Amino acid sequence: MRPTRMGAIALAVAGSVAIAACGSSSKNTSSGGSGSGSSASGTINGAGSTFAAPIYQQWGSTLKGQSLTVNYSAVGSGTGVADLQTATADFAGDDGQLKAADRSGMKGPVLQFPVAFGAITVSYNLPGVKSGLKLDGPTIANIFSGKIKTWNDPAIKALNPGVSLPSTSITVAHRSDSSGTTEGFTTYLSDVSPSWKSSIGADKIVKWPTGTGGKGNSGVAAIVKQTQGAVGYVEQAYAIENGFTYASVKNSAGKYIAPSLPATSAAAVGVSVPADLGISTLNSANPAAYPIASQTFIDVYKDVCKDGGASSGTAKALKSFLSYAFGAGQATLGSGGSQIPYAPLTSALKAKDNAQLSQLACNGSTVS
Amino acid sequence: MGASATTVSGGRSALERSPLSRLPDQLLQWILTALAAAILVLIGYFFVRLIGQSSTSINHFGFSFVFGNNWDAAHNIFHALPLVVGTLVTSAIALLLGVPVAIAAALFLTEICPRRVRGPLAIVVDLLAAVPSVVWGLWGVFVLAPKLLPAEKWFASTFSFIPWLGGGTVNLYNYFIAGLVLAIMILPIVSAIAREVISTVPSQDKEASLALGATRWEMIRMAVLPYSRSGITGGAMLGLGRAIGETIAVVLLIGSNPILGKHLFSPGYSLAAVIANEFGEAANEPIHKSALFEAGLVLFILTLLINIAARWFVSRGTHGKRVAGGAMTGVMLEET
Amino acid sequence: MSAARMSLSTLPAVSPRRRRTDRIMRGLLVLATAVALVPLVLVIYYLLKKGLSSWTSGGFFSSDPNGNFFGNPGGIRSAIFGSLEIVGLATAIAVPIGIAVALYLTEYGRESRFADVVRYFVDVMTGVPSIVFGLFIYIVLVIAKVGGAFTGWKASLAVALLMLPIVVRSAEVVLLLVPSSLREAALALGAPRWRVIARVVLPTSVSGLTTGSLLAVARGMGETAPLLFTVSTAFALTGNLSHQMNTLPVQIYTDIQSPRNAIEARAWGAGLTLVALVLIFNLIARLISSRSRMA
Repeated sequence: MRPTRMGAIALAVAGSVAIAACGSSSKNTSSGGSGSGSSASGTINGAGSTFAAPIYQQWGSTLKGQSLTVNYSAVGSGTGVADLQTATADFAGDDGQLKAADRSGMKGPVLQFPVAFGAITVSYNLPGVKSGLKLDGPTIANIFSGKIKTWNDPAIKALNPGVSLPSTSITVAHRSDSSGTTEGFTTYLSDVSPSWKSSIGADKIVKWPTGTGGKGNSGVAAIVKQTQGAVGYVEQAYAIENGFTYASVKNSAGKYIAPSLPATSAAAVGVSVPADLGISTLNSANPAAYPIASQTFIDVYKDVCKDGGASSGTAKALKSFLSYAFGAGQATLGSGGSQIPYAPLTSALKAKDNAQLSQLACNGSTVS
Repeated sequence: MGASATTVSGGRSALERSPLSRLPDQLLQWILTALAAAILVLIGYFFVRLIGQSSTSINHFGFSFVFGNNWDAAHNIFHALPLVVGTLVTSAIALLLGVPVAIAAALFLTEICPRRVRGPLAIVVDLLAAVPSVVWGLWGVFVLAPKLLPAEKWFASTFSFIPWLGGGTVNLYNYFIAGLVLAIMILPIVSAIAREVISTVPSQDKEASLALGATRWEMIRMAVLPYSRSGITGGAMLGLGRAIGETIAVVLLIGSNPILGKHLFSPGYSLAAVIANEFGEAANEPIHKSALFEAGLVLFILTLLINIAARWFVSRGTHGKRVAGGAMTGVMLEET
Repeated sequence: MSAARMSLSTLPAVSPRRRRTDRIMRGLLVLATAVALVPLVLVIYYLLKKGLSSWTSGGFFSSDPNGNFFGNPGGIRSAIFGSLEIVGLATAIAVPIGIAVALYLTEYGRESRFADVVRYFVDVMTGVPSIVFGLFIYIVLVIAKVGGAFTGWKASLAVALLMLPIVVRSAEVVLLLVPSSLREAALALGAPRWRVIARVVLPTSVSGLTTGSLLAVARGMGETAPLLFTVSTAFALTGNLSHQMNTLPVQIYTDIQSPRNAIEARAWGAGLTLVALVLIFNLIARLISSRSRMA
């Protein structure tokens, strides 16, 4: 009889945990906006870019101490935008500028805020070959389209005369999910290679002619880490985290630039800023700039309550979060020991972001 | 006297029940019947909704959805041949590798294994089914795939003269490794059903062949296998159904490449894997969303058909004796 | 007497070739069984080897995953609780309904054509891939935003759908084992049908029903695909089934795809936890089943 009782107890325990869970309410409710002053308490949910995920997740960790809970799901820019369209998320992380098609799927007008810049590295796993392998745009395009199949191909050798390259075959690592990093990378490739532009194109998700797909920047990084001879495009924070070796890429001024924070910031200098703040730092004309530097945006509904279905408490929390993002949060970005390896906004862009932030509204009235 | 003992008020016999007291019974019967019917309604409803969601894609792509070789999300072209082929290839590998081992293990356990060891050993084989698919994926990604890579490279270069099986660049994640892990996952199902089927072989047939001087293996070959052929085929088909529908282990090991792989060790894609990877983004693009649902519909119909065929084979193979839910739900519930 | 002696001594001896074939084939069968067991041994070995160190690291079971990019990525507390809650609710849905359907099949449906159809489709349902159940709930409830987008209770519904056929089939087997003499005796004494079920049939089969339910729970705990489409994921521990929650299978699935060593270690620890939970349910089920047979 005892095993039966044990079994019944097991079932009962599981059941009562479920019932207790139903009854208890989560401590972090979205409607708990009773905070006064600048730091509202509450929970906001974001989803999207894995490119910027390290930033938002670190900020979320920091802000928890200020009783602001930021849940960020790094599901890829495409899914982030989709979640904003269905108002499943309060803000979307998207590396690319919102297109007309994206905007038409939204429930209302959307504000787009540049947040930071990062370098998309061309990381490779080649024991014996150090960081700084010189690659230019057309060669990278040929590698990722499968036209160049081994590392000791003449095209790569020509750019790197002193380097001894093994005959290992190249395994391309790319994204299997919808990604702003892919969008940035393929936009760059389309700019530098007409054949890429016509055959594959630039988008959040493309039909890669070769290679293995991984989910998120982490998935691509995992493939590069595990496969000798692999090459993949990963945001620099992921490359640094895993000790990858990456290429120095030829920019539009003809110089080979290694991805570094100064080179990334240089891409943002002098960038033209349209009215909707949809900037692009790819293939910058600045001679000191890394050519595959990408921006990343946070998108929110202009009227978060009416269109985004948020409560007034959530709206306050969102504004709080964004003020931090364009204020104190920027100081957490940089190359210092405790900083997150992204390039912060220029002061001009910070000002524009804060100005646009004042348009954030809840049912018509500005959020305080 | 007899009358007063058996009548109650109203002149009814004590053994007859009043209509009111029959009510709970009728209510119970009604509720239970309704719940049973609800299952059928649920299956039908799901079919209808899934077809509804796929209709945009069906109308747009027609038959080229299944036969066209171009899964291109950027240009909104969704022809799923690479996915269908990937699903079938990995499942075929799973069957080729898993079924013979499963049948052999079943034969060992029922015919050759010493009686004392039989029970515990059977439990251990069945324990394979208890390992969740995500754990097989975990082990496959971090242990099996890297460890087998040198052997795969050796195979590809040594047998490069065989088309498709040999040659080509060996990728860390490919059809083979996905198929191998699937083989491990279908093994317990096929083995459990094979054991059930083999145990229905009449002992007269077995004893007769032994009495005529057959060796143990000859007895198996002449008396057991022919008798169980149909049922074992059914078991293999159930394994096939499982392999076709498996999502997580495949998406982690197949390489997520929407191209028709040219070799055994090329990366590929499967129907279930593409749904798992792309469904989040699908809300953005109505056609993409519909195409993913159509992939799900194809998967659902495939597994339904295979399951229905499998059950027909199994019922034929057990020759009328009902294979108790045992094989599907845990062999220990059967009467020994 | 000489005839008997003759018939025994003139049976042809087994030729060496046949004996060799027999030995080789039997050896192959033993080998095949060993081969079948190798993956199980290996998987348990690696789970223990790589997962135990996570178990003993501080805070593995008491902290949630924190999404920190650098440093300690946190533990799996929210995943364990989320799994237990979601599967708990799924069990509360699937077990009563499953037993009810099994009762229908055994009490009222022995001769009925309709019952045959139901039984057939329940059988077929056991073979439906779990991703399909996830898709079903995704279409009907998540996209339609019924009561929120991704929620824990929707995941429970998907998991309940996948547990249901297992409960029905195992319950039917068990209910059929109740001797009809017991039922008939109760009916002969004038008990109404519902009383017979409640007082005779169910109590007699309770251990078998529990076994079948526990097997279904073990299966429900391990499935990932239905969770991806219904409850997505979360970091923090939340008891609220109307929110997105973390679960063990999804936590493992996400962690597998990260290159970080610390996160790979967490994946192994979580995998070991999941297998331990599943095995515990399986073991209890087996214990109940074997005890009831001995009794």
